[in-house]
Amino acid sequence: MLERVVAVAALVLVVVFSFAIDGFATLGNLRVILTNSASLAILSCGMAAVIISRGLDLSLIAQMIAGALVFSFLVIGGTSTGISMLVALGAMLLLGVMNAWLIAYVEIPAMLATLASSMFITGLFRNTILDGGFMILLPRSNPTVAFLSGDLLPGLSVSVALMLVIFAFTWLLLTATTTGRIVQAMGDNFQAARLSGLPVRTTTIAVYVFAALTALLAGLITSSASGAVDFRTVTNGTLLFDVILVVVLGGIPLRGGRGSVRNIIVGLALIAVLRNGMTLMNFTTQTQDMLKGLILIVAIVTDNYLNPRDAETDTAGDL
Amino acid sequence: MMSMLTQHIRKAGIALIASACATFGLAAPTHADSKYAGKKVVFVPIAMGISLTEGWARRMQEHAEINGYSFEVRDAAFNTGAMAELLTKVISEKPDVLVVHNPTVQLLARQIKQAEADGIKVLQINLQSNQPSTAFVGASWQRIGREVAEDIVKECGEGSGKSGKVAIIPGGLTAADSVIMNDAAFKVFAGHKEIQVVSNQASDWEPEKARQITATVLQQHPDLCAIFGHWDVHTMGAGNAVKDAGKADSVLVYSTGGGDDAACKAVEDGIQDRIWSYDADGQGRDAGTMIDLLLQGAGTTDGSMMVVESPLKIIKAGPEFDASLCWKM
Repeated sequence: MLERVVAVAALVLVVVFSFAIDGFATLGNLRVILTNSASLAILSCGMAAVIISRGLDLSLIAQMIAGALVFSFLVIGGTSTGISMLVALGAMLLLGVMNAWLIAYVEIPAMLATLASSMFITGLFRNTILDGGFMILLPRSNPTVAFLSGDLLPGLSVSVALMLVIFAFTWLLLTATTTGRIVQAMGDNFQAARLSGLPVRTTTIAVYVFAALTALLAGLITSSASGAVDFRTVTNGTLLFDVILVVVLGGIPLRGGRGSVRNIIVGLALIAVLRNGMTLMNFTTQTQDMLKGLILIVAIVTDNYLNPRDAETDTAGDL
Repeated sequence: MMSMLTQHIRKAGIALIASACATFGLAAPTHADSKYAGKKVVFVPIAMGISLTEGWARRMQEHAEINGYSFEVRDAAFNTGAMAELLTKVISEKPDVLVVHNPTVQLLARQIKQAEADGIKVLQINLQSNQPSTAFVGASWQRIGREVAEDIVKECGEGSGKSGKVAIIPGGLTAADSVIMNDAAFKVFAGHKEIQVVSNQASDWEPEKARQITATVLQQHPDLCAIFGHWDVHTMGAGNAVKDAGKADSVLVYSTGGGDDAACKAVEDGIQDRIWSYDADGQGRDAGTMIDLLLQGAGTTDGSMMVVESPLKIIKAGPEFDASLCWKM
């Protein structure tokens, strides 16, 4: 139900902005909206899978920057693109497994485990790779960086193409695989899923590793486009808030159990259109944050109204 | 032309330090000078790990080693909440000189006032608070804002054949440099009705936010003439967006910064066109000299703030490009 409300709201915004804002309803602007939203969409796929399984990954943005940093640091140092990518993939695999191990085996609540791991990842990578620094600049002269920030076909940027691939992969994962069905079952009733013998621990590992890989991809896209790998995205930015906003607005409840790529697209459409419109209207970032926060509150209240707690959800509890 | 400018700047710097020494009647300090024995200087930057603050700290550390006083850095790591607490703790340690890098004009005003009341000399570096203190070393943001705006008027204003459309990307809305530069720039633009500021949105100092803002604004205003980013680091994102849109030849990208070799590389690569550099390396030396003077008891007779304005270097793309204007860590 919330998904429909948000879809209608996004549609209304598109119509209003088309009439009110000069330059909004153009093909070029649609391209800007898609390109600017690609990394947010990819991160949202990772976060959605985690949330559907009744988890939460607050370290997603830290992983995104850490992965991009490993790749960039090696590439700048002269390591080949292939090896740099393999090392970055290995690092993300370890981070995903670390999160899953804390949650599934040590049985720390997902919110606390990933909050701690976010701080750990930020500190570890800043100290060991950046020597306490905050960012490195990424040269466009590197072929991979140039590829990721360029166009695949006329009118189709590589970042948007990768977003579509991740949408397709997430859809397949959630709807056409056994893992996807176990993810839904875990979110629906974790205890029942475990007691019925489903491999909830290994599935948790799969989900958090998938989230870590989406974070790496989003990190590579963002840093290639801006030319910088910047840890302030983790410490000062609102990207994590935007990712959760997209998932929740799309209609995926924070208590998990249901959700699909369609939900992500709906949430993303509202946030992407709103962000683009507000930038075109020259709103300050503070005003933009305020409006996004307001929308999240309205969405959560609406969700609670439309999906009132029942005996089952009360038993399942909150995050 | 640029080397002559560099020579002038260098001469001006030497003259400034010589006149400061003459004013306060100071002789050249020597190592293990008793004036410095047991003295403590603490530097609280917004964040270490960027060339600006690393460059300052390096030069201040050099002065401390030469003269034999202690120099410590307390990194606020871009956490403004932690910075106020950090400063309160440092004040309780009663250093002789406190060097503060203000994130906003208001945030640390109370702590600066308290430090001065406790007898700690506060040197504000590059970003000034509303609260005056013993000394300030840094760029004149008013001058940078005015000069950049005048250059934009020259390139985009009447007779240029350009649209006159300008996008401004400040770092933060209440940051001292952004507030003063915007004020100075808008005063210049006010006298030129053909100049139209089509966007003025802060990037929170992040390159990715600057990139997204620029990509969106360029779509709405394809005839944009210039972008004025308030810091060269976040303007990297804006410059890359201009390049990606295929408008590197028609949109001028201006910024300001500490002028390390990354700035020259950005200009050389066509990501930015003109950078007003306040030479962080030179500022570090000026700050070190100012600390030496403060530890020797220097001060103005009327108690007003001592000010050392940093000379500017303009790094320009094209035939005037001169890589020697930048410094390296």
